[in-house]
Amino acid sequence: MKKNIVLSILLSVILLCAPAYAGIPLETVKINVNKVLEVLRDPALKSPAKQDIKKEKLRQLYFDMFDELELAKRSLSRNWKKLNAVQQNEFIHLFHQILENTYAERILSYQNEKISFDKESMLTPTQAEVYTRINRPAGEVPINYRLILVNGNWKVYDVVIENVSLVQNYRTQFNDILSKQTPDKLLEILRKKVKTQK
Amino acid sequence: MKLRLQRPSLGFYILMIWVFLATGFSVPLLPATVSAAELSASTSLADVAVTGNEAASSSEVAVSQNEPNPEPSAVSDTTGDESSPIDADNPSIDDLEAEDELDAADENQNNGNGPQITDPIEPFNRAMYQFNDKLYFWVLKPVATGYNKVLPKVVRVSVKNFFTNLAFPIRFVSSLLQADFSGTATETGRFFINSIWGIAGFIDLASMEGVNLPKQDADLGQTFGLWGVGQGFYIVWPFWGPSSPRDTFGSVGEYFLYPVSYLSPWYASTGVKTYEIINDTSLRIGDYEALIGAAIDPYIAIRDAYVQYRHQKIEKKRQKLWSSGTEEKKTIQ
Repeated sequence: MKKNIVLSILLSVILLCAPAYAGIPLETVKINVNKVLEVLRDPALKSPAKQDIKKEKLRQLYFDMFDELELAKRSLSRNWKKLNAVQQNEFIHLFHQILENTYAERILSYQNEKISFDKESMLTPTQAEVYTRINRPAGEVPINYRLILVNGNWKVYDVVIENVSLVQNYRTQFNDILSKQTPDKLLEILRKKVKTQK
Repeated sequence: MKLRLQRPSLGFYILMIWVFLATGFSVPLLPATVSAAELSASTSLADVAVTGNEAASSSEVAVSQNEPNPEPSAVSDTTGDESSPIDADNPSIDDLEAEDELDAADENQNNGNGPQITDPIEPFNRAMYQFNDKLYFWVLKPVATGYNKVLPKVVRVSVKNFFTNLAFPIRFVSSLLQADFSGTATETGRFFINSIWGIAGFIDLASMEGVNLPKQDADLGQTFGLWGVGQGFYIVWPFWGPSSPRDTFGSVGEYFLYPVSYLSPWYASTGVKTYEIINDTSLRIGDYEALIGAAIDPYIAIRDAYVQYRHQKIEKKRQKLWSSGTEEKKTIQ
């Protein structure tokens, strides 16, 4: 019994102290996600006519939160070198378009699900993973953000949803395409994809 | 038509006796186990993170051993910069020349080149993928959307909880076969709490704060994986979707562990299972659309998502089960 009391005191001390130790990567994700939620909940932007303003605000937040170059490079992995500078720039642009076209709608359909920011772990001194969960009706979905320290800022370079890494998923696809096709052809496929999304 | 349950077999009785004995121990201890469960929940979360870290660093070693070339080249690339030698392991966007290093650092988080699967019957799989895709958009989605409009979300979540509770034997037996005894006890406690006080499982009381007996992530395919059985090749079944020989065997086993399978006549069982799928789908309309909407090649995207998902499921369990000895030391870090 005594042991239990000591244990529970110890446990509560540890639990109460935990937030104080929350590091910068976790805070960064928290602040950014909360900013997104603020935009989504903003009553002034509720009407469908304001949808474009909402999207523009979200786009700004996306640029603050994500490192596009890191995201593109890692998705192409070894193949990044096969593209010349012009192609690389176009790739980053098209990749962004595809992600935005797909996920903007998903994010806008947010319905006040509870998000919890659990913890972070340092992968290396300049890379961290932040663990969050979103409570959806179909069940809890773990979403992890992988961040990298670039010029003093923590930026997201990969999102892991329900154990599936976005970057890894794209890398497999790009690898598959580039094992048979040229970079030019890949860009053409991406251009087509963007067009069909609109 | 008469709905009836077939007479349970001997194995079922043995299982029930085991369950009775197991809960006999765990239920009276409930107030005490709450704090224990809290403790284990918090440590297991920490565990995942820590072991993720561990996996990264251990494979980092592996990478540097296997590929001696990128390491020295990257170091020489960055020594001229202000960045410290540690930064050479983690490429920043400035180190455009350190491409190989980027690969190495990136891959070590995904355990090598990330989990892959061979696909020798790709043409067949692609055809099956097309079939399932059409099945979703032409049949399942319209039905689920209609169903969505008839029943409020609360009801659909309760129905989902009911079926989840009913699938208890799958998680119970899997946890047991994985020698995950804490998981087995948690599942058993859950089953009884939800079945009795949660009105036959419609309310998931056990997952709520204060009780904190979360659903265990355990299935047979995962069990085989933990035993060391390889995943084999990729196979897409019509209706069932992405699988592998290992997971197919798992699904067959789970068929026998799922009480709904024993409903008679056979079409009652099929009907109930179909209803379950519709109910489940109604809660996640849009997920599949987003996945294939974002994909350049949806077939490859789903294959990769399947492999990553299954791989991580096994890895996380492995870390939970086999890292308990060192976990305490690492949580402090």
